[in-house]
Amino acid sequence: MRHLHMSLAALGLLAFLAITNPVAAQTSGNASPGSGGPSASAIMESVYNRPKPSDTTALLTMTMVDSKNRERVRSLKQLSASFGTADKKIMEFQSPADVRGTSFMNWSYADTSRSDDQWIYLPALKRVKRISSGGKGDSFMGSDFSYDDLGERHPDKDEHRIIGNDKIGGEECWVIESKPRDSSYSYSRTVSWISKTAPIGFRRDYYDKRDQLLKTLVIQQTQVIDGFLMITQTEMHNVQNDHRTKMSFTSLEVNKGIREELFAERTMTKGL
Amino acid sequence: MKKPYLRALALFAGLCACLLQLPAENIFFNGYGRTKLGVLISDGSVFLQENTFDTRFSWETGDTTLYANAIIYEENGQPPELNLRELYLQYFGEAFDIRIGKQQVIWGKSDALFITDLVSPKDLSRFLVPDFEELRLAVTGLRINVFAGNHQLDFVWLPLFTPGIQPQADSIWAPKMPFPVTPTFQPALMPELNLSSGEYFLRYGWLGSSVDFSLMGGWFWNDTPAFAVVGKTVTPGLGLTAIEVRKEYYRTGALGYALAATIGPLVLKSEGAYHIGTRYQGDVMTYPEGYTTKNAIQYSVGTDFPILGFNAGVQFVQDIIFDHEAAMVEDETTNMATVLLARSFARETVRLEALAYIGFAAPDALIKPQITWKIRDGMELAAGGWFFLGDSGTFGQYSENNSVFASAKISF
Repeated sequence: MRHLHMSLAALGLLAFLAITNPVAAQTSGNASPGSGGPSASAIMESVYNRPKPSDTTALLTMTMVDSKNRERVRSLKQLSASFGTADKKIMEFQSPADVRGTSFMNWSYADTSRSDDQWIYLPALKRVKRISSGGKGDSFMGSDFSYDDLGERHPDKDEHRIIGNDKIGGEECWVIESKPRDSSYSYSRTVSWISKTAPIGFRRDYYDKRDQLLKTLVIQQTQVIDGFLMITQTEMHNVQNDHRTKMSFTSLEVNKGIREELFAERTMTKGL
Repeated sequence: MKKPYLRALALFAGLCACLLQLPAENIFFNGYGRTKLGVLISDGSVFLQENTFDTRFSWETGDTTLYANAIIYEENGQPPELNLRELYLQYFGEAFDIRIGKQQVIWGKSDALFITDLVSPKDLSRFLVPDFEELRLAVTGLRINVFAGNHQLDFVWLPLFTPGIQPQADSIWAPKMPFPVTPTFQPALMPELNLSSGEYFLRYGWLGSSVDFSLMGGWFWNDTPAFAVVGKTVTPGLGLTAIEVRKEYYRTGALGYALAATIGPLVLKSEGAYHIGTRYQGDVMTYPEGYTTKNAIQYSVGTDFPILGFNAGVQFVQDIIFDHEAAMVEDETTNMATVLLARSFARETVRLEALAYIGFAAPDALIKPQITWKIRDGMELAAGGWFFLGDSGTFGQYSENNSVFASAKISF
């Protein structure tokens, strides 16, 4: 059961990142002066504060590929929404068979001093259980994403500086290095490629505590849905063990007026 | 030998045939097949050889669900049995749910404990060795849940009593009897199958930011019978030489609470129940019926937290019997703890976990380590053990039953 706690918690955070805050993983950070243009901090703030839908629903498929090209696939339904100072989401596993019907609920708060509230429902045990939201550096669901990768990291938690310019897919980008102010963060630094024409990142490199390149996140597909720029496909590549995790979102809908009452024990047990 | 087997298969096929008549797009079908082998370390004897085919069907039509959990179970070479673990109809209203039929009702916030889990009785025929899912029995009745935001009211009415399952007298899991001489048993005294024998449970629950809280109560038949002395022989010079007892189920009540709260990386948990009119065994010369009736309280406090890559959980449990008397078998206060450690490795394809129950009085313990390897999605191998430490007490009494097991499971 606890095996699933960690997995589901991370899955929730991942979906939160990729759907309601699709660019946050690549663009969070804090100020450092650029040369003549906006500061690194201002760029990261603009990405962090970009317009977001108030609620989303989607189907998420996560494909993990190891160095021998063996695949493992996870799929789930999810529901997420923002309510003033709290963001809430529920995710329900569709496959594989041994976790089908398992659901996870996460409430995260604008007040960064507050821990997330998280619950898990395991159909076999027929009980909704409050679980710990700790272990942010752990892998989730055996994927190449960690809790830290999936959460929405506030720009104030890092020091930023522009270290260059680059092009990705013909798009002009700033290359911004972000170093954490808090040494407890999972990485020594990250480097993000941020579009110069839209508040979105296209790539982020993660460096381990020895300052060796560990992982690269690439946004493979975006889609404008009801006026919101949403990430619909991403891939995280762990370059140290050549393991990849691809995430795709389908049936994505936004601003459907999801009621706050839905984020409750009843929805977890009944299913989405 | 063949008839039960055929009857089980026929029932199962009938159930499948009925469900297959329903529109396919509204039917969900999943489950698992598992084979499990357990061996006693002391003499290498195989005490557990079971094959389980567990199937769950549900037919969903918007606001209504028909759910069935049927299990074909074969143990130690006996003919397969079909067990309908659950079969119920559930209606989902705007602000309420109604569920009618055979169902498991699980309450409480603790792990591996049943303090406020008042409704579903337990199958303790193999003590605490089976998975917790398999320990809980279903009950037949009506359950109504009323919802208002994150508030929930849960009412359960069980018109007919379902007793818990105790180990057979010749089982290696039969507990030590609380009598100075080996008793002979008369047929158990069961509640009448009458609507006046119904059981009633009510729970209020609130799930909120930082804290979850619930209050519950029940008026029910005790799932575990008391042993009433119905005859005894006292031989001059020798004292008590024979005793005749009868299992008796009796009315009792309980009031309880459960709460869980998040503080930083910790989840703090507590639950407790005040039991009214519980029967405790005692000295048969002091208590002519073999037992006395007392009120008691049981509570737990604990926390879950991550540490060194593990998910850990510790709980302290205390039982207190009010107006305790020296002639009672049970101590006035009983202290116990549980410790749970779990961690996944190799991209969550390998999981290591250990659950320990530790009794402070004897002292004694039950330790259940297990390693599970997911060969691929839906297919897993597991191995582990059940180790009983100490010579007496709740766990130490099974010190001869130290054992190891291996299992293979495919989910679909």
